[in-house]
Amino acid sequence: MCHDRLMKTILQIEDNFANRRLVERVLEPYSYRLINAIDGQSGIDTALMEAPDLILLDMGLPDMDGQTLVSVLRETPSLAKVPIIALTAWPESIAGEMALRYGCDGCITKPINVAEFGKQIEVYLSR
Amino acid sequence: MILLSASDFAIEELTRAYNQTRTDYLIPMPMNPGRLQEYILLYDVALDRSKVAIEGDNIVGLGMLGKRKGMGWITRLGVLPDGRRRGVGGAILDALLTEAHGCGLPDVWLEVIHGNGPAHELFHKFQFRETRELIVARRPPRTARNMSIVKDARQIRYLQHDEVLELHCRRKERMNWLSSVETMHNVRRLANFSPDDEAGYLQHELAHLSGIIVEFSDGARGWVSFQATTLQLKRICVEVLRGDPVRTTAGLLELLHRLHSSQDAVVENIPDDAAWPGYKEAGYFEVFRRIEMVRESVTE
Repeated sequence: MCHDRLMKTILQIEDNFANRRLVERVLEPYSYRLINAIDGQSGIDTALMEAPDLILLDMGLPDMDGQTLVSVLRETPSLAKVPIIALTAWPESIAGEMALRYGCDGCITKPINVAEFGKQIEVYLSR
Repeated sequence: MILLSASDFAIEELTRAYNQTRTDYLIPMPMNPGRLQEYILLYDVALDRSKVAIEGDNIVGLGMLGKRKGMGWITRLGVLPDGRRRGVGGAILDALLTEAHGCGLPDVWLEVIHGNGPAHELFHKFQFRETRELIVARRPPRTARNMSIVKDARQIRYLQHDEVLELHCRRKERMNWLSSVETMHNVRRLANFSPDDEAGYLQHELAHLSGIIVEFSDGARGWVSFQATTLQLKRICVEVLRGDPVRTTAGLLELLHRLHSSQDAVVENIPDDAAWPGYKEAGYFEVFRRIEMVRESVTE
């Protein structure tokens, strides 16, 4: 696959179509290469193939828990250092602790703040 | 609105409807058809007694009934966003209670997530009462904890599936539906379940229970049982037979995680009792709580 090497690749693992679409639209002006996976298994496969610069991970996936998926990604040498941002509708107090304990680099609660989301992602990518 | 039997619907339709009821839920826990099928098998859900609410051509809600000797269990009850505030949830619940009554199940149990006010209120309206709070907790892999407890293990014996079941049969504590002996018996049923790949069933699932029974140098004794899959340890149950509940629970769990250090672990619906601090000592943290409720038979 050929793409601009300077263009950052973001993998979004999210089962809900409306949520995926919203993130796509919000990130459109930023010229990222956004790729999608709709469940945990395809998320792992895509991450291995595409080596993304950042993973946006919905913690509630239909085939496996998001936490289990984070564990798998963290155990995979080629992906161990890729920043993972948990996207979750869980109450902020739970979501924050969960993300921290499982080794996510950050947590954004849903519904996403459309005005802030792009900037939040920029910050995570620049770290 | 009409109510139909859930057995009239394909598992894919039920899954889609269930996921839609949970899109804006407090703790959304979507499923794929394979996971729902597994849930139905493990927890004795009777689809022919479960209900789907229909308006026109659309599903607006659903609820399921589990059946075990003398007990019913209401689960997966939910209303799609468009169907809310119109009595759909109450109608489904009423129909499920009628089914339970018709099956001769005097007591009906359920759990509601702590903080889900509207559902909790609905269950009160139908004469359910709280019995206890249950904790859902997790432990990420490779959580380094107090290894000194592990060194205190004097004797460890590994348990096969049938031995684990025997221990579960002898438990004195009343277990929640999810961790009861019937559920443990049903784990074997997953082996006979051959869903197609599209259903998304995890092919690496191992349909048996394992366990260890341990004696510690201070005389404490207990066992821990679990189902190990490639990625996750689940259906974890601990029983302390002798000794301090906190230290012994922590010791048993530390040993378990030493044997399975790379797997994520989840415990569901454990009571907030004397053993819970032992889970925390072994690296578990509380994710959320459920309130267990029961509606006992009413003499009419």
